[in-house]
Amino acid sequence: MVIIVVLVVVLVVVATAAAGGGEGVAAVTVLAVTMAVLNPLKSADHTIMQDTDLAGPLVFCMAFGGSLLLSGKLHFGYIYGIGLVGCLAMYCLLNLMSLSGVSAGIIVSVLGYCLLPMVFLSFSAVLLSLKGIVGIVLVVVTVLWCSVSASKLFVSALAMDSQQLLVAYPCTLVYGVFALLTVF
Amino acid sequence: MADMSWHSDSGGGDDSAVLDMDQIEPGQISRDYDRDHQDDFGSTYASEKRGNSGTQGSKSFAEDMRQRVGENVTQMMWQAGAQSAKRAWNVYGNIDLLRPYFDVEPKEVQSRLLYSLIPLRPTDTRQEVPKELYGPSMVVLTLIALLLYQMKTADHRVEEGTLIGSAFAVCFMYWLGSSGLVWFVAYVCEVRIAILQILSMMGYALFGHCIVLFMGTVFHTGHDHMFFYLLWAIIGGLSTLKMAGIIMSRTRGPKQRLFVTGTIAVLHMFFLLYLHFAYNTFVQEISDALHDNLVPAPVSVNLNIEVPSNDVQAAT
Repeated sequence: MVIIVVLVVVLVVVATAAAGGGEGVAAVTVLAVTMAVLNPLKSADHTIMQDTDLAGPLVFCMAFGGSLLLSGKLHFGYIYGIGLVGCLAMYCLLNLMSLSGVSAGIIVSVLGYCLLPMVFLSFSAVLLSLKGIVGIVLVVVTVLWCSVSASKLFVSALAMDSQQLLVAYPCTLVYGVFALLTVF
Repeated sequence: MADMSWHSDSGGGDDSAVLDMDQIEPGQISRDYDRDHQDDFGSTYASEKRGNSGTQGSKSFAEDMRQRVGENVTQMMWQAGAQSAKRAWNVYGNIDLLRPYFDVEPKEVQSRLLYSLIPLRPTDTRQEVPKELYGPSMVVLTLIALLLYQMKTADHRVEEGTLIGSAFAVCFMYWLGSSGLVWFVAYVCEVRIAILQILSMMGYALFGHCIVLFMGTVFHTGHDHMFFYLLWAIIGGLSTLKMAGIIMSRTRGPKQRLFVTGTIAVLHMFFLLYLHFAYNTFVQEISDALHDNLVPAPVSVNLNIEVPSNDVQAAT
């Protein structure tokens, strides 16, 4: 658990540096979004996704691929493909459901940041098997954690409070596919 | 008297637009034209080709004009084509056309999912079918995820392509293809139903398939498929009856009703059979392995025992 916390801190620092650590606004944005993802039950500020960046999502995707590599799985191509298809599907769906429309940058940014719990899951897959009862519980909790965080950020950015469940379900499907990648 | 001084000017004055044809030498017009309209390389196309003959000069001028007209026409056609394509894209490719079909509340989706398994007795009153695409899309995507899970569990391998690509193709092709076929049959049999209602009805009916696949994967019972057949008959049958009730309330004539409901029933029930038996080989293999361990295969024993001869017994 200590190792995982240390790894998270390192990831956040690297993401902040990649976002231009000298610029205070970018660092604050990365930290704020990361903390919003780590605490899904806390309500998010609607201005949190105004400054979208792709550095944090990129670092988290690389971390996910790297953690799968520790388990002997070379799945960078699958992460890219599933991420691309998932982002495209969410872009179409949210543009159809929201009144104001949404940019592709916000979609990629939110889905990328909310991949952080999946990174934890893939690290834990190195230590224990995810095909037992404990693994199933961990997978379910992680997928729900990712989807609740992503839907919370989407509805706060797009003012769709009454439709959080409708936004959360497709996010569950996307992160469920990532979980299948981790388990099998 | 009018001022005729302009008439006395010789033709060829640089600023004058009036030409006195009596003063113009043969070929002068082309020369002047080429001088005024040299190409980017500083040489005139016509002057290279033309000799002292004025006829060749006019031919080069004509070719040059033809080339320029051709370029202008090509450019005009390209612009017209681009504008038409842009207009067509704005009309048919605009996803805002689908926006009304995704305007739905969570409780509405929940109730529609539940009622997709509750058939209603057909009456003369038309049964309501919502024109909605969010619920059916999510059901199809859920079916894809369950199929992927089933394929991963069964260690199903795809020679060309990926598992998720196969799952996407199977599920979306069934949803769209069967809806198209049912729409065609409904059109022939004069059923009062729109294509979007058919898409919505067939999409929500796949919720039963999701339940059967999920329970069949989680509770696989070895070599015996009775549990699956039971779920197939009950849950698949309920969703089929629901669709049949909708169609029968919107169709006149017993033959037409039979034809359309028969088509829907065959497509719906056989697709579930296909999903189970095509991607669930793990069930069969593990059941064979378990069966061999519990009841070993009989081994043939040779009972022809040779009795030693008396000579050997005498020697000992």
